[in-house]
Amino acid sequence: MWNVRLFDFTTLLFGVASVNYVVALYGKRETIARIGTWICILAAVVSTAAIGVRWAESYKLGIGRIPVTNLYESLVFFAWSINLFYLVVEWKYRNRTLGAFVIPIAFGTMLFALTNESSIQPLVPALQSYWLHAHVITCFVGYAAFAVSAGVAVMYLMKARREERKMTGGVVALFPSTKVLDDLVYKSIIWGFPFLTAGIITGAAWANYAWGTYWSWDPKETWSLIVWLVYAAFLHARITRGWHGRRAAILSIVGFLATIFCYLGVNLVLSGLHSYGGA
Amino acid sequence: MTDGKRNESPMDRVWSFFTSLKLAIFVIIILAISSIVGTIIEQNQPIEKYRQIYTDGAIRFFKALSLFDMYHSWWFLLLLVLFTVNLICCTLDRLPRVVRVVRNPKTTLDGNLEKSLGLVDRWKKKGDLSKLGETYREAMGKGFARPRMTENNGTLHLYAEKGIVSRFGVYVTHLSIIIIFIGAIIGNVLGFKGFANIVEGQSVRTVPTRGGTNHVDLGFSVRCNRFWVDFYPSGQPKEYSSDLSVIENGREVMRKKIEVNDPLQYKGIWFYQSSYGPAGASTVTLAVKSPDGGRGETISLSPGQKKEISGYGQISAIDYKTDFQGLGPALLVVLEKPGDPPAEFWLLKAYPEFDRQRKDSRYLSFAGINEIFYTGLQVARDPGVNIVWVGCTLMVIGIMIAFFMSHQRLWIRLSRGADGRVEVVLAGSTNKNRLAFEKKFEKIQADMKAVKA
Repeated sequence: MWNVRLFDFTTLLFGVASVNYVVALYGKRETIARIGTWICILAAVVSTAAIGVRWAESYKLGIGRIPVTNLYESLVFFAWSINLFYLVVEWKYRNRTLGAFVIPIAFGTMLFALTNESSIQPLVPALQSYWLHAHVITCFVGYAAFAVSAGVAVMYLMKARREERKMTGGVVALFPSTKVLDDLVYKSIIWGFPFLTAGIITGAAWANYAWGTYWSWDPKETWSLIVWLVYAAFLHARITRGWHGRRAAILSIVGFLATIFCYLGVNLVLSGLHSYGGA
Repeated sequence: MTDGKRNESPMDRVWSFFTSLKLAIFVIIILAISSIVGTIIEQNQPIEKYRQIYTDGAIRFFKALSLFDMYHSWWFLLLLVLFTVNLICCTLDRLPRVVRVVRNPKTTLDGNLEKSLGLVDRWKKKGDLSKLGETYREAMGKGFARPRMTENNGTLHLYAEKGIVSRFGVYVTHLSIIIIFIGAIIGNVLGFKGFANIVEGQSVRTVPTRGGTNHVDLGFSVRCNRFWVDFYPSGQPKEYSSDLSVIENGREVMRKKIEVNDPLQYKGIWFYQSSYGPAGASTVTLAVKSPDGGRGETISLSPGQKKEISGYGQISAIDYKTDFQGLGPALLVVLEKPGDPPAEFWLLKAYPEFDRQRKDSRYLSFAGINEIFYTGLQVARDPGVNIVWVGCTLMVIGIMIAFFMSHQRLWIRLSRGADGRVEVVLAGSTNKNRLAFEKKFEKIQADMKAVKA
């Protein structure tokens, strides 16, 4: 299948881009990082094409549906979202050091996708709904924003630690200032949060339309609520109690770990309605 | 609150406990952590299943804490109540203050306010004070928002604000949560959820709810006219659907073919295609012929039914396989001929002449099966659901307002300095998104300075 080959190529591109960003960081070579950006743009084009091709191929197989319905597809879509969200952030903040902390997440996601069944599977009746599109897209934009936030939070912690010890130079010298990093941790979350909210709501609306219950405390639903609560706590702590810097960064990382568990852990460890991760 | 001693009376202490954000963050985190438990311990499973996983002691412990149905346990509901009370108290505590600020904006920049603002710039300009005021008013209107102008003892004040609605985003979001809870409570109290298995050709009028402990009379009946299921080549079900009729007062008032993700709704009661299964009462048709091509007859058999083939013996069908060793649909029959022991053998649908091999006075072939299914329907009435959707919509709107809008304010003070020039003070503030506002402020500042009086 062509789409799988294109996704394999995307994986390679993310790998090369990750190496570029990291090498640029330690070697302090802006040119290498710039090449990294171009590779990410190419990866965005290739992966978008791959999603389109896969969509078209599903019609040829008589299945015909948006390619976000099993673990393989959701992983590549997650990587696609992270990459796009990252490119927007890089462009807005004019700083390529972020790439070394975000693009490896996309690369890792693609590598994990490679270990999963990649053929186009027919859709069980419960998933055949237009709600699928709105639900999956909103959720993954949210997840991608949280991934970027967590990557930046790691950068913040690295930089803040060196500054505390009054060390100068090193990799972190190239990072944006701690003020900007701290702001970006927050900004990414305020983008992710409404999308996650919309994702949970579209999921509830769909469940109500398919089963007559908008909330049934299914493990996936519950975990999405847990993630939502963690970020709600983050936002309240930050806005009203002035949690900045270190504590906010740690909470962002905790939030992303909860997100990953909600996305993958629930399917791989627990059981429930979102069976795409199952055997 | 009634007596003057603040933070002293027990009432005040209770109030400040419930309005504290520490409590809010604490409750949110406790809700998140405790919710995890219910995803690890499978909820509402039969006791036999728990016995396979846990020891008796653990089961007793979990039961005492209602952990097998924790999201409906008293302590979880108590947490939700605490959460709601906190939310309402925080709102009652803060909203009036916000309304006051919004209704009585500080339209003049005095010394105290100036000191409290992070973004302040001052410069001097030659020219006429009121003329300059007019020019700045226009520039501010163009670059930011139309300002209000007030004059006070020869000092001119300009004030403009934007995005005041952002002050209410958080309250809209909080209100939306309460609306969702109200919708959920209404649904729980006034609605029901049940399940109905209807065999093709039959109808139901009452639906069992709460796991069969209760029954709801629908007020009309629902008949399943037909059921279909399509499979993918892999054998996975592709689509299943039921042709349903709603019958009220003996008349069919509605008919719809429902499928998964496409329910039927009548008088606020929804019917969702949920599952299906064989209804057992399938009938099979057998053709009985003589090997010489003589007269034939067809007989139909229900499960467990024995039929006489005149002048031959008694026949009954005891098993059916959709695929018998790769040869397709097959039927296991028992033939009892007088004087012989009963004989059991398979008939293959794809090979109607197969039974000739018995070399008897008759041979049988499996002509067809009329499989009868039941359709499994989820039946629900939820009068609160639309309230929930209103709440959800408000929530998204509220969050967007809260995060993506900010209340931005600009002040300009013009006064005549000692040297005869006009002293200009520009100050700005925002409640959110400071970095972006700083950039905006710098631009306004540059524009203002460039203005020619």
